[in-house]
Amino acid sequence: MRIFFAWLTILFLLMGALPAFSAQDAPGAQNEKSLSQDALETPAQSAADGEPKSLKGAQEKTANFEEEYVEEGDADEKTQGERVAIADPLEPFNRAMYLFNDRLYFWLLKPAAQGYNVVVPEPARISIKNFFTHLAYPSRLLSLLLQADFAGAAEETGRFVINTLWGIGGLLDPAAGGELKLQRQEADLGQTLGVYGVGHGFYIVWPIWGPSSPRDTLTIVGDTFLYPPSYISPWYVNRGVWAFEKINSASLRIGDYESLISAAIDPYLAIRDAYAQYRAKDINARKTRSLLFKDHEDPTPKPGDGQKDDFLRH
Amino acid sequence: MKKHLAGLCILLIMLVSAFPAFGGPPTDAVEKTVNRVLDILRDPKLKGPSAKQAKTEKLRLIYKDMFDEMEFSRRTLTRNWNKFTPDQRREFVDLFEQVLEKAYLDKILDYSNEKVVFYKEDKISDKQVEVHSKIITSSKEVPIVYRMINKDDKWKVYDVVVENVSLVQNYRTQFNDILASGTPEQLLDTLRKKVKTH
Repeated sequence: MRIFFAWLTILFLLMGALPAFSAQDAPGAQNEKSLSQDALETPAQSAADGEPKSLKGAQEKTANFEEEYVEEGDADEKTQGERVAIADPLEPFNRAMYLFNDRLYFWLLKPAAQGYNVVVPEPARISIKNFFTHLAYPSRLLSLLLQADFAGAAEETGRFVINTLWGIGGLLDPAAGGELKLQRQEADLGQTLGVYGVGHGFYIVWPIWGPSSPRDTLTIVGDTFLYPPSYISPWYVNRGVWAFEKINSASLRIGDYESLISAAIDPYLAIRDAYAQYRAKDINARKTRSLLFKDHEDPTPKPGDGQKDDFLRH
Repeated sequence: MKKHLAGLCILLIMLVSAFPAFGGPPTDAVEKTVNRVLDILRDPKLKGPSAKQAKTEKLRLIYKDMFDEMEFSRRTLTRNWNKFTPDQRREFVDLFEQVLEKAYLDKILDYSNEKVVFYKEDKISDKQVEVHSKIITSSKEVPIVYRMINKDDKWKVYDVVVENVSLVQNYRTQFNDILASGTPEQLLDTLRKKVKTH
């Protein structure tokens, strides 16, 4: 009797599952059809049956161009948060520094990184980057603890141990892959102040370090103090290691900056806005992980929140 | 009777779980479009520099189908849109599209077998959703969110958020700055120059 029920259940499941799949496929298939029809319509086809359609399309377009813009309140509320502006009282200075950094990149860093690219294969460069990131663990740990993100601090520590032992001292990143899925927690000190509600203050572009603010300058300073290679002496070896790290990480990002500025109308403003948006969302995502703040926040994860480590939180 | 009930429960659970955890028609729409783009990029018949033009033509058609350019332009200009005459608006939409094409086309054509994964769909409102995806390269993962709007039963993209940065918002800041002290004509002129200098 029991077996009979088991079979019945399986039969039900099969019957139930099949229509569910096809029902789900159907709109997709239609969608595909309409997509390909719309986009790949040959001129002959559109000449044959397209006249009334294109006429209608043209009318529609004119109507659209005449339509005024009306602010949508509620629907956009979720995205309103990203209309973050950052005060920029030092704009002339910042623009000069931006230009300096731009030249530094194109004249010095990029050629160096390109040459380096030729000599060192990509997997090695990725390993070197992993190694330096691994060494910055103290700064991430301190930030996570100060943010009251203890789960994050535990993940970071787990990563540090695993990657030290099984990742050849941090050259490889076995903790991020496989079943562990321990992703690096991008936590820093300026961000920590942000989690506690401290604002940027204003925008400042540092030579070499780039976009920052008085608050985020703490990140630059703190990172230097909490970063073991900062304590290497003599000074020229220290600077050498530092430059090597910069060139290595730049070698993996050649082209990013170029495409950013080629897409921008005013590259200085584009970068300033990207910086403000990035930090604001980063801090919001961090707040949802903090024991102190997560209950007061919107429970739905914001874009860019570390969804990949979702399961670790439950 | 109890067993019937149990069977029914299991059946219900299975039915519910047969649907993917995320992904409605909007995700379907982007995913299909992205896959069509990837098919074109991987097409062995379209290899080499001579095929670049053919590829560009095909990608342009897909772009028009995928993006709601009007929505994109209006949202970047916001209230400033109303300062433009219909003719200026038409030109703006056209120029803005060219700027975007020039900026991103080469990046897209550079594609070399990166993986694209769609993993989440968030509802913003009844007519708007966010489709979350990421591009996985050998050295990093780049999160990309497509914001989509439903018009006439068709889902189209009106904003793309790359690594936490919304494109619409980014251009909004730049256009606002130009329009704060300049006229729509000056902005159009800046765009015309930008399109030419490439």
